[in-house]
Amino acid sequence: MKRYDMIIVGAGPAGLSAAVEAAKHGMCVAVFDENAKPGGQLFKQIHKFFGSKEHQAKVRGFRIGEALLKQANELGVEVLLNAVVTGIYADKEVIVRHNDTVRHVKGDTILVATGASENMIAFPGWTLPGVMGAGAAQTMINLHGVLPGKRVLMVGSGNVGLVVSYQLMQCGCELVGIVDVAKKIGGYGVHAAKIARCGVPFYMGHTIVRAEGTDHVTGVVIGEVDEAYQCISGTEKQLDVDTVCIAVGLSPMSQLLDMAGCQMQTVSAKGGTVPVCNADGETSVEGLYVAGDVSGIEEASSAMIEGRIAAISAARKLGYLGEAPASEEISKLQASLEALRQGMFAPGNRGKIIEQTEEGIRISNSLLTKGYLEEQEIERFPGFHTQKGIHPVIECTQNIPCNPCQDVCPRHCIMVGDNITALPVVDENSACSGCGLCVASCSGQAIFLVNDSYDQTHASVTIPYEFLPLPAVGTIGVALDRSGNPVCEAEVLSVKANPAFDKTNLLTMKVPKEMSQKARFFAVKSSEQKG
Amino acid sequence: MLRIENHPILGEIQKGRLVRFTFDGKELTGYEGEPIAAALKAAGVMVHRYTTKRHEPRGVFCAIGRCTDCVMCVNGKINVRTCVTPLEEGMDVRTQYGVSRQKPE
Ligand SMILES: Cc1cc2nc3c(=O)[nH]c(=O)nc-3n(C[C@H](O)[C@H](O)[C@H](O)COP(=O)(O)OP(=O)(O)OC[C@H]3O[C@@H](n4cnc5c(N)ncnc54)[C@H](O)[C@@H]3O)c2cc1C
Ligand code: SF4
Ligand code: SF4
Ligand code: FES
Repeated sequence: MKRYDMIIVGAGPAGLSAAVEAAKHGMCVAVFDENAKPGGQLFKQIHKFFGSKEHQAKVRGFRIGEALLKQANELGVEVLLNAVVTGIYADKEVIVRHNDTVRHVKGDTILVATGASENMIAFPGWTLPGVMGAGAAQTMINLHGVLPGKRVLMVGSGNVGLVVSYQLMQCGCELVGIVDVAKKIGGYGVHAAKIARCGVPFYMGHTIVRAEGTDHVTGVVIGEVDEAYQCISGTEKQLDVDTVCIAVGLSPMSQLLDMAGCQMQTVSAKGGTVPVCNADGETSVEGLYVAGDVSGIEEASSAMIEGRIAAISAARKLGYLGEAPASEEISKLQASLEALRQGMFAPGNRGKIIEQTEEGIRISNSLLTKGYLEEQEIERFPGFHTQKGIHPVIECTQNIPCNPCQDVCPRHCIMVGDNITALPVVDENSACSGCGLCVASCSGQAIFLVNDSYDQTHASVTIPYEFLPLPAVGTIGVALDRSGNPVCEAEVLSVKANPAFDKTNLLTMKVPKEMSQKARFFAVKSSEQKG
Repeated sequence: MLRIENHPILGEIQKGRLVRFTFDGKELTGYEGEPIAAALKAAGVMVHRYTTKRHEPRGVFCAIGRCTDCVMCVNGKINVRTCVTPLEEGMDVRTQYGVSRQKPE
């Protein structure tokens, strides 16, 4: 039976990071993944990540995936694809089904990084073709280049629902709305805001009543819910859609660990049943580690760190790394992981009602219920101020672990500080050059450049723009406000693309002066918007 | 058109060779190596199979090979998960009825 220092189940961000780390320390590693391609969820994530530099913030997920794979190849990590691990037995024997053969291999240590599966909800018509997981839609568009449909309803307003909604719009789907039984949007406000300003309505406190159609979805009925989450009769609304995407949470895929005899526990903050483990990710079975979503639903950035911690811990156990350097590396990584687990959306804050930011500023209720800030609300946040000439307006109003805006500004106009969940502050005394780096680097697309004195009567507003086709300079269209309503005519002054912007184009439009704090998106024709 | 030709972030989508295959005897085209389900979706096919007892239609649901909703009869073999099976030239892809290839009378 072939023996390895470490066997890794799952080639997602957690598994691959662990493999790279372990191989770096000279360990002999094998990675098994059931898919035809490695990367887990990473290659579907085409948006820029949050966090700080050490977490690869502002880098798009698929690029992180490409870099990880390259490193793994260079280090000679063996990645076996189309390989399903079906069991882990005593003495760390792993059973792998590869194509039509079954292999038995042995690991001195094992890392289970199998990720999560999507939760589902049942409603009349939920089995009709056209109803699918949000992950399925993301797989179709970002891996296979095929749209799941043309008019989509998203069920679920967590980060997965929001991110996938935006990605569907980016490749040309019409998003008819986002429905959630919760009264408040579950994901980041910045993710919601970039959807809302395209004119997509949020139906909070609503449920999907049924999907309609005989052979496939031809429409959907939604309705408002009462306290018991039942549809209130008379509130039903019919929407014309051909696709319904479900994004109602993820559950750790921890069955292999249960089978392997690990002590398990059910923790709602972690998304379901997970193994009990120590800070290194080692379970109750010695030498059997977990990392990533299987140990508790988080995100790709934390999965990568957890993978590395587990690998270092295993390297120490097997003598590839001394006690002191291993402990030092692990505590550094743990601090980095801890930094990601802070802020309003921290695992420990799930379910809590938060009324103020860390700075003591009243949060925006409109952002939580409608997906956008009211114009008069933005003024109380430190990213807003008025000044002569071009300057940034930062509409990032929730404490999330993120700071690329601070990092990229060559003129030090933007300050987040050492605590990366603090709200970005625009320094009133520094001279913004209008370079646009902050706009393009903001993972939440929440930074705009405003120049109130473009000419006597007009202001210019620069927005991040990740759609095709790019409007030509001189195009007359309409400016949309934060809710997606057309507010005035707008002329495209420039559209800038730059390798440093990594596909986030900067669109600058000319609007009447009094519209400079209203105009936040551009549309070619008003008839295409809700309004 | 359900194929994304030019993506604002991913650019032009890299695809294999354009090949012919058949769906219920009808000739369609798709790209070699892409999942059969992607080629079918691009051609507007929604129903992959009908369930055994209640003859309800099923289509792509998870797109990662877990739910078995998308299984079809491919080259005479039933229960092929089309969302994870690469398309090959000349494949004979058919709607699956329950656990058989035949449409019930
Ligand atoms: C639809 C969706 C959208 C998301 N969007 C975002 C986002 O926008 N930003 C973000 O930060 N996070 C997002 N996440 C979460 C993020 O993807 C995960 O936190 C991260 O991918 C977890 O990494 P992982 O390595 O634990 O798992 P995964 O990336 O899921 O990788 C696990 C791998 O293990 C394989 N596997 C499972 N079981 C076996 C087995 N028995 N044998 C062999 N292989 C197996 C799986 O097929 C998979 O390839 C999203 C998740 C989903 C599902
Ligand atoms: S536009 Fe450039 S100079 Fe101005 S705040 Fe942004 S990064 Fe700084
Ligand atoms: S404004 Fe700064 S902290 Fe807020 S999302 Fe953008 S880059 Fe992150
Ligand atoms: S769609 Fe679920 S297995 Fe293919």
